[in-house]
Amino acid sequence: MEDYKNANVRNLNSGILSPFRRWSSKWSLWPCHFITSCCGVELAHAFASGYDGERLGTLNLGISRQSNYIIIEGTITRKMARALQFVWGQMPDPKFVNVIGACGQRGGIFWNSYNITHPSDIVPVDAFIPGCPITPEALLRGVRATQDKIVGIDRKTIDFKRVELPFEKQLEERMVPTSPKIFAPTPAIKVDVGRDVDWGEELKENLKRDLNGLYESITITDTNCIAIKTTRENLKAVAQKLRDQMKVDHVKSVNVIEVPHERKFIVEYIASSYTDEALMPVLITVFTEIGLKDPKVDSLSPIWESANYSEREMHEFFGVQFDGNKGMGRKFVLAPDTPDLPLRKEFKIAEERYVYEKGMSLDECMVPIEPPKDLYTPIPEEFIEGAYDKDEIVVPIGPHHAGSGHLRVTFRIKGDIIVDAIPEPGFVHRSMEKIAENKLYIQNVPLFERLAINDPVNMNLGYVRTLENALGIEVPERAQYLRTIMAELSRVEAFYYDAGIFSLFFGHTTGFMYAMAIREMVIEVLVKISGSRSAPSFLVPGGMRRDITDDVLKVIDNLTFAIHKRMKKFEDIFVYNPVTIARAKGVGVLTKADAIRCGMVGPFLRASGVNYDLRKIAPYEAYDKLNWEVTTGDDGDCLGRFLGRLAEIKQSIRIIKQAVDAVKRIPGPILSDDVLGEYKEAANDIKGNFFRVFGNLVLPKGEWTTVTEVARGTLLFSIMSDGESNVPYRVRVISPCWMNLRGFMEALKGERYADFWAVYGSFGYFPPEADR
Amino acid sequence: MLGLPVINNLIALLLWESFFVLIIMPGFAVLGTLLLILPWIERKMVGRMQWRVGPREISPRTRGIIQLLADSLRFLFQEVIIHKDAHKRYFLQFPFLYFIPVLLPLLFINAGTAGSPLVPIVSDYGLQLMVALICLMPVFILGLGWASNNRFAFIGTVREAFLYFAYEIPFIVAVFAMVVMYGTSNSVGVVDAQAGGLWGIILNPIAALTFFIAALMATARLPFDIPEADQEVSFGPFVEFSGIAFGLAYVMGYEKMYVLSALMTMLFLGGGSGPMIPGLGEVSYLIWFVLKTLIVMIVVVNLRGVYPRYRLDQGMKIGWNAMLILALVAVAWSLVIGAII
Ligand code: SF4
Repeated sequence: MEDYKNANVRNLNSGILSPFRRWSSKWSLWPCHFITSCCGVELAHAFASGYDGERLGTLNLGISRQSNYIIIEGTITRKMARALQFVWGQMPDPKFVNVIGACGQRGGIFWNSYNITHPSDIVPVDAFIPGCPITPEALLRGVRATQDKIVGIDRKTIDFKRVELPFEKQLEERMVPTSPKIFAPTPAIKVDVGRDVDWGEELKENLKRDLNGLYESITITDTNCIAIKTTRENLKAVAQKLRDQMKVDHVKSVNVIEVPHERKFIVEYIASSYTDEALMPVLITVFTEIGLKDPKVDSLSPIWESANYSEREMHEFFGVQFDGNKGMGRKFVLAPDTPDLPLRKEFKIAEERYVYEKGMSLDECMVPIEPPKDLYTPIPEEFIEGAYDKDEIVVPIGPHHAGSGHLRVTFRIKGDIIVDAIPEPGFVHRSMEKIAENKLYIQNVPLFERLAINDPVNMNLGYVRTLENALGIEVPERAQYLRTIMAELSRVEAFYYDAGIFSLFFGHTTGFMYAMAIREMVIEVLVKISGSRSAPSFLVPGGMRRDITDDVLKVIDNLTFAIHKRMKKFEDIFVYNPVTIARAKGVGVLTKADAIRCGMVGPFLRASGVNYDLRKIAPYEAYDKLNWEVTTGDDGDCLGRFLGRLAEIKQSIRIIKQAVDAVKRIPGPILSDDVLGEYKEAANDIKGNFFRVFGNLVLPKGEWTTVTEVARGTLLFSIMSDGESNVPYRVRVISPCWMNLRGFMEALKGERYADFWAVYGSFGYFPPEADR
Repeated sequence: MLGLPVINNLIALLLWESFFVLIIMPGFAVLGTLLLILPWIERKMVGRMQWRVGPREISPRTRGIIQLLADSLRFLFQEVIIHKDAHKRYFLQFPFLYFIPVLLPLLFINAGTAGSPLVPIVSDYGLQLMVALICLMPVFILGLGWASNNRFAFIGTVREAFLYFAYEIPFIVAVFAMVVMYGTSNSVGVVDAQAGGLWGIILNPIAALTFFIAALMATARLPFDIPEADQEVSFGPFVEFSGIAFGLAYVMGYEKMYVLSALMTMLFLGGGSGPMIPGLGEVSYLIWFVLKTLIVMIVVVNLRGVYPRYRLDQGMKIGWNAMLILALVAVAWSLVIGAII
């Protein structure tokens, strides 16, 4: 890399025409944006109406041969590194590279992940812009810095200096987050910790009757949660019975928990029903224990198709063999050179330190990351073979394509019709589940927010609610309403991001700009509330960081009016555009049966005619106190999915309006007494007491699973706690996009090649969220 | 200086009517200027439509009007990559060969008005020759795509070929309708027939509509930028082109648009007819002509801000169904109206 460093700038300075070359390069930096992770959301804003990067002459193009500038947005995973090298190599000289976001530098929040690389090891970088996420202003400043560099103006970069900051005597020493973390040496891991709740005896009896002889024990683990323990041999029979007799028709999560000191794996499936109304809110955990050596279970994907991809993922992470799943022994999410079986406990990642001890060298805090070497990942052989004879062509799309996020889909196309589509996710797999095992409970709030920073509050809410359920914390009423408002704002924001991408995929840049402009308004309000554009991390267990004042509430109220006019414009130009309707209507149909089989979630499930919204079925926060409706459709096509979400946003605005009105009359703290303990003075603002209150959270023993309805569907967190450590033993997070991937591929079959973008956009597939 | 015979001759040559029309206005010089200005107009206007400003900082006083200069210089100075699998010769030749069918139709454009034609070459088969040349263009695009030897280029090329068939016939029929209407295919006669403000677009609006849609398809502008759809096939036939080769290909689309718009102006908008601008003489016709052409082009580019893109099969359906029927109706219309007049 050293030889390449600044080579392009030097190159520009040679020859008699160099003034022209410099000038033209300066004003014509066409970025081949490299949307790798969450920061890509802010890139969209930097080039949309609010900030308009095109002012600087930078026209976002996305096609490597014709651009001369890469903006790397955030994390480069090991899998993505190859694409980066490729794209950089494809670009004609002179070319420049800009890295934005903290994790493109030394990893940022993912610094100790097993799957990331440093972009500067792969390509020569001209400018770094820090921030997590960066703001659009910062991004444009980075463009200007590159321009300056081209014409030879030196922007002073930071010189790092080490300074000693001694404590002055009179200052009270602030409590630092607990360090080192407490890991129990031989933790007691149990999935079925029974709890006394006033629920489920009847269901338990029913299950006992139906599964006679097949189970080892049935335990009620919480309200709406029931765990069935069975043997490896009976697992399949239990699943079959559950599906056929009790209408348990889909899987919400497949999880493996390794317990090395007991030499066993726990394999669990969390299933539920979309067809039986009484069972809708219930999470049925079916689990079995198998030995550490030669771990094998029967795959349940023949019974529950929705388990398919998750089983493959678990196979990669833990090495558990799911007999009968076709994807065994193959890479799916991880790159060829990612460490094997990374989620096993014996694979350790570098630990975070919070206290800098004297004499410690800085190198100890840095993980050396080996730059990836041979990164060639061929398309699986059996996928290509036979294509020629059948008169089909194989077209791989992504991970870097002008119209794809970081997902590779390999098509087999006959004529113009897609015969088969094989997905290859994992280009943004930042190993959140592993990192979460090494962080205090409270520190995982911002971590999981990075699942989808275009839907940040809902991501917080999902995680925070899991902690609250485990700790039995009641959230004060005012906080409930405020959280509802924020969650709905976040839902609106996420929709407009997806709508923008949807219109961009149709080549309709105006729709994109309008959508981003509307999003900008919502973001403005989030900034007013929390001070952060896209990553507020504002919710904490027991409530929220601080109160929302009346004047900000007024702003939110105004927003609900202001947004209407813009929404109308967006609908006029894009949604009801005859071309849009022609493109989206009747395309990518998922029937109700298909949707249930594939385990679709959220608005995409509802668009296929299943009335399933967790906000109604198992209401949380203030949703049951407000007046709103669930939107469902029957068409199950792209247009239906999109319009369904649009209608949902209108309901969201209705919710916000009511909640804002209601919350003005509700006084009170915004943090629960249960969590504050002795620090009562923090009831309205946690500032100053944060780590005292939350630093030592320990969850009770057992597994805690909570589902939340986020913008794109059901977000599931399943936290295993041993009851003594202040870090989780295992966190399983299933994001809606991950669940939707199966149905996404299903909807593609038999459609035309160009319909891929219609289907993609209508599912709002967001790779960082899916890959975790 | 003026005493030197060479200069005299040079000026005489420049002012020689046919030459002036071809080389300066509305020919190559204006074309070149427009190529630098039009994408800027497009980016500015579409930007306006999209609640933003478009290119600006390069020259804030003049609203960034030299943006395209920077872009084209950058393309010029950039490396041209010919990848291993490309057909090297075709890959390099086609972008240049493409100029021939794009520029030759300008020879037959009549930029004057009734009674005072301004046309480089007068030919009784002017329209036919122009149509033939215009219909030759896609062949070169197919060549580009073929030489690129790339999956997306391949798909884009096939799309171009399909679409070519879909728009070509209605396009020819629409021009034919106008030939029937005017009773001549000489570009002088065509403009003469529109004397007195009775423009082709009034005489036969159906043919004008068909022609316009066909022009959109031919120039691959939204909603028909199917062969070049950047989200789908990343510029299709042009995907492998970099540096000046891409610059040429990129500019070629605009040239094609210019030729088609000029043809549209001549056929349907009365050529260069308009009120005389005092003191300019015949040049005022040329100004009117260029203005009209510019307006047509601006309408075409602005559609980018309004429409998403059709799918290939939908585009073809429009070509083979709606447009073909429209074109045939236009011919019938011409026959009827022609008989009445
Ligand atoms: S974690 Fe996400 S938001 Fe933060 S710097 Fe990385 S890409 Fe950007």
